[in-house]
Amino acid sequence: MPLLTLGFNLYLVISLIPKALKKPIIVVIAGWKPPVGINLTIGPLGIFLALIITSVAFLVAIYSIWYIKVEPKEKYCMLCLMLVTGSLGMVLTGDIFNMFVFMEITSISAYALTGFIRDRDGSEAAFKYLMIGSLGSNFVLLGILLIYVGTGTLNMADIAAKMPTMDPKLAVMAVILMVVGLGIESEMFPLNGWAPDAYSMAPSPIGAIFGAIVVKGAVYALARMIYTIFDFHSLFYFLVIMGIITLLIAEMSALRQKQVKRMLAFSSIGQMGMILVALGLGTLGGIVAGLFQILNHAILKALLFLAAGYLVYHSGSKNIEDMDGMGRKTPLTALAFSVGAFGIIGLPPLNGFWSKFLIISETVKAHYMLIAALILLGSVIEAVYYLRVVGRLFFKPAGQNIQAEQLPLSGLISMGVLVIAAIVIGLYPNWVMALLHPAARELFDKQFYIHSVLGTF
Amino acid sequence: MRKTLSILALAVIGYYLIVTMSAIPFGQDRMNPDVAKVYLTEGVPKTGSVNIVTAIVVNFRGFDTLGEVTVLFLAATGLGAMLYDKRGKRRPRTEASPVVRVGARILFPLIVLLGAYVFVHGHLTPGGGFPGGVIIATGFLLMYMAYRSYDVSHWGLSITESLAGMIFVSIGLLGLIYGQSFLYNFLPPGVPNTIFSAGVIPLIYIAIGLKVGSELTGVIDNMMETIR
Repeated sequence: MPLLTLGFNLYLVISLIPKALKKPIIVVIAGWKPPVGINLTIGPLGIFLALIITSVAFLVAIYSIWYIKVEPKEKYCMLCLMLVTGSLGMVLTGDIFNMFVFMEITSISAYALTGFIRDRDGSEAAFKYLMIGSLGSNFVLLGILLIYVGTGTLNMADIAAKMPTMDPKLAVMAVILMVVGLGIESEMFPLNGWAPDAYSMAPSPIGAIFGAIVVKGAVYALARMIYTIFDFHSLFYFLVIMGIITLLIAEMSALRQKQVKRMLAFSSIGQMGMILVALGLGTLGGIVAGLFQILNHAILKALLFLAAGYLVYHSGSKNIEDMDGMGRKTPLTALAFSVGAFGIIGLPPLNGFWSKFLIISETVKAHYMLIAALILLGSVIEAVYYLRVVGRLFFKPAGQNIQAEQLPLSGLISMGVLVIAAIVIGLYPNWVMALLHPAARELFDKQFYIHSVLGTF
Repeated sequence: MRKTLSILALAVIGYYLIVTMSAIPFGQDRMNPDVAKVYLTEGVPKTGSVNIVTAIVVNFRGFDTLGEVTVLFLAATGLGAMLYDKRGKRRPRTEASPVVRVGARILFPLIVLLGAYVFVHGHLTPGGGFPGGVIIATGFLLMYMAYRSYDVSHWGLSITESLAGMIFVSIGLLGLIYGQSFLYNFLPPGVPNTIFSAGVIPLIYIAIGLKVGSELTGVIDNMMETIR
């Protein structure tokens, strides 16, 4: 069932791409035109993120068929579907309170899925995530309240148009609350305490969904706040600084991890830091690079988590050192993991190279030399710990407990598609650029967004 | 040291929150923002609901309400998934005193009736689907507390819950077919202040009331202790 739904969803998104690229589609709900009613805005940016979300969700659903053995399965499917619904709603809605509602849908299903394996650690991680996440949601709600007080409207385009008339005192507080609240969801330092536990204790497909879907919705919302709604240029510096701190601390923490999924979680935080830096540059090129990195991170991190799921399953342990020599006994999984690792590091034939290259070159263009150097330093640390794992997989004698590979078809398909996507995008990055440039322009050009939502009525 | 620091941080944040909140012009006429004006001037004639809060919640911002219902549903489902136990048997609860038992038996139908009243009259009086559903769930909670072996039929709960949710979405889709958009109020607004008015709003509120009631009852049921 979830496969059918998500498959249809994917078809719908793909069929909408040409239309959305031409002109943003405004869906009016309940017959009340914006700004009175709620509207969905399906522009290039929304459709780009929706494409990432649905395709990763579809692949994860395929993978989950044989992977999830914990009952109740129908609840697992439902929670996954609602998670996807929430994230899609977040990236497509044009209403700020509606975005909060969808954020709640996403996060509540995420809390439940974190604790889905009902052991001690899973429950603890879920509880931690619940606490920190609700705090974030409350901050966002408070921020929305202040915005409504200041502008008298909840429609994003309308808010953006009325922002100059808002009391600056309210606006500053609102922006702080929004950035803190959404920063929790998008793993910004120091608000990311929930992430490592949640990623590592949740079932592996859910780790992939967290990295590729949940965080993407939050980072989109953050970008929308900063670029479309608020007009604070000092926010850009803040994003760059927080992004680089997030990146460095996460990479150094990842270096010290002994469990493979925790390492991936910290690496994911580091990637988010890099995306924040790119988005904080405040240039069109920076946004393009950031969005490209969002796409690549979704593909690669999903691949890594899915492969790590089988690595953990076959070795019977979460620890990296117990995975020695798995490259011989489980060649396909180990290969998939290596492709993901090389992609994240940014080895040239893979997609990760282009986005990292773009981010660094845009940082240099924006005259942030130190930041560019620090990103490179982060990449070096990243290369160290990923290559260490890959080296262990292939060049160490195999341990005793490792079972030989029996990769079900579902796992083969989902990981195979992701590997192919990583390679194809790496070889032909210009194909993606056709979608990336309009998406970045939508985010960058505030007047265009306001006009396309409000001007058509 | 850590404690002092956190108190200090809290004090700073609190100070700035107070400063901001005092900048909010409470109690002033803020009708000039156009959205609020539309709600108040066009709300009653266009939707037929005299309770303007209901008109906003179910019609103007009905999509949010669908989302909020989903949030509640998810919370209930998530709880069910995390407390899932196949072979668990209920631990017998302590017996309540006769006063509570007799009282519960008398009060239970009245509580359910009150809940139903609250959600059926959501478009006329304060209240609506959410409070009505919560009132109904408190009735079930009372029954659980009064009787040792009281048990709501799970099948009935899940049927009510799913049907109510499907009715909400179907009404929304009917709006798409017979009106202009999803959740469009396609029935005539009727005469305001009568029970058969406000188009689809009462129907949606009835569905929400049933859904919230059965969900919260399910939550109570899930939280009852099981023996491992």
